Amino acid sequence: MRAIGLIAANYLREQRWAVILLLVWVVLSAVLASVGQMEPGDVLFFLKQQAVYGVAFSAFLAASSIYNERRSRRILAVLSKGIERREYLAGLLGGVLLAAGIYLGAMGAFGSLLFSMARIPVSHVWQLLILLLVACALAATSALLFATFMPPIVAVACAALALGLGVGLTQIGVTSSFLPVYALVSELTSYTYSPRWSPDWTPAVWGVVQAILLWLAASWIFERRDIAVAVE
Amino acid sequence: MVPVLQFDGVTKEYRSVWKRRVVRALDEFSLTVEAGEIFGFLGRNGAGKSTAIHLAMGFMRPTRGRGAMLGQPFGHACTRRRVGFLAENVALHHLSARQLLWFYGALNGMSDGALQRRVREVLELLELAPEANRSVGKYSRGMQQRVGLAQAWIHDPELLLLDEPTSALDPPGRVAVRELLLAARRAGKTIFLSSHLLSEVEAVCDRVAILHEGRLRRLGRMSELLEAGGESEIVARGVPASVWINASGVENGVRFTVKTQAVRRAIEAVWALGGEVVSVTPVRRSLEEIFLELTAAEPPTEETRRARTG
Repeated sequence: MRAIGLIAANYLREQRWAVILLLVWVVLSAVLASVGQMEPGDVLFFLKQQAVYGVAFSAFLAASSIYNERRSRRILAVLSKGIERREYLAGLLGGVLLAAGIYLGAMGAFGSLLFSMARIPVSHVWQLLILLLVACALAATSALLFATFMPPIVAVACAALALGLGVGLTQIGVTSSFLPVYALVSELTSYTYSPRWSPDWTPAVWGVVQAILLWLAASWIFERRDIAVAVE
Repeated sequence: MVPVLQFDGVTKEYRSVWKRRVVRALDEFSLTVEAGEIFGFLGRNGAGKSTAIHLAMGFMRPTRGRGAMLGQPFGHACTRRRVGFLAENVALHHLSARQLLWFYGALNGMSDGALQRRVREVLELLELAPEANRSVGKYSRGMQQRVGLAQAWIHDPELLLLDEPTSALDPPGRVAVRELLLAARRAGKTIFLSSHLLSEVEAVCDRVAILHEGRLRRLGRMSELLEAGGESEIVARGVPASVWINASGVENGVRFTVKTQAVRRAIEAVWALGGEVVSVTPVRRSLEEIFLELTAAEPPTEETRRARTG
């Protein structure tokens, strides 16, 4: 676990400029949303917009993580230590989720502020953000799975297709449990300020289980991949 | 005694994405490295040296054959805790040297207390202490190389796999690394050293292997290799230089070389002429001469061309 934490923290540090840029974006969006008369619809629009960005950000970050480490050759020094490749992938995923967590945390803080300014109860914001974090984890593990054997852009496209398949299966009523990113994000997009609102945690449970399965599959593939493949 | 590092008929082929082109980087490669030696691993660019090291570290899998490191099959994570590795053209995260060593040591499962002490020791050992808190991204290439060595050393490994450890170092830096390697050998560690600096290899290695186009061309003790020219140099006095074709005059005598099998006959000839043999010395060749001879480019035959490019 310590190795995973170290790799995650290091990965977050490596991505600090991307995270800072997103935080600036959250702050600017929140400031713009708070200018003038605060309407509940404006606040909700702010949260929905940021939520979609958060999921996309996680997928892109995860898809490029292995590629960047390989291209820079820094992966060799890390994998030469006594760690398993599945720990390495877990560390990268942990780093992506830390970045997503910081982003969602900022979003939650500003969302709460805007909710209170618009005189809307803030108790639901953090539950919605937990669901969003699961959606980010699922998007990130999907992208990472494809990134173990594909270039980043193709991996993102394949992850989008896989997540789209989950949406399609939900839309035609087959199942809403397969890669339920859409179901998780829908909790926020369909949120209507009802005081009796309570989130449906079922997609979150499915999301966590499938993220673990995707990580196991990614590890299985990655353990069989050559790291230094350049012909001398 | 279990070998520290063993390759057993290892072949590694690189395939292009659609598998149309196959390049054989290692071809039925077998080698055994014993404990406590400094082993030199030589070859031209593209000979397969880095591939062999990467296979041992488990970064890739052999196409055929197998190998073991410290008694375990290649790619065993727990074994890597006992191994230090330095890649060619080392690339490191942009942390300070102190943070970086702490990071790599902690990845290897070292406890905080032991790690703090060891980081201090290794920074001193590699003369990095004055700059230890500066980001390695701002270091010169030579200093980065030293940090690379430090991360390989941080957990006090039993086996060191070093791929071009002195390539970016200045002469004092090379001398320091040489001293470090010799001290490590005295401490009972095994060092597998891949290098293009033949003088450095000649100075420190006990045994050497020369790889060419993925195949092992020569393996042996350094001393045997250098003396295996098959010729001896004889210095004699009291005889005319004209008797031997390749003789040259030296102070109070002549010097000539003969095949090692012909030494006895040559000495008897000197005596028969009333002369006196001053010295008989096996001709030592430089490692560079041997290397160039063994790795000289040969026009590929149809068979070798097919074997290497699929």
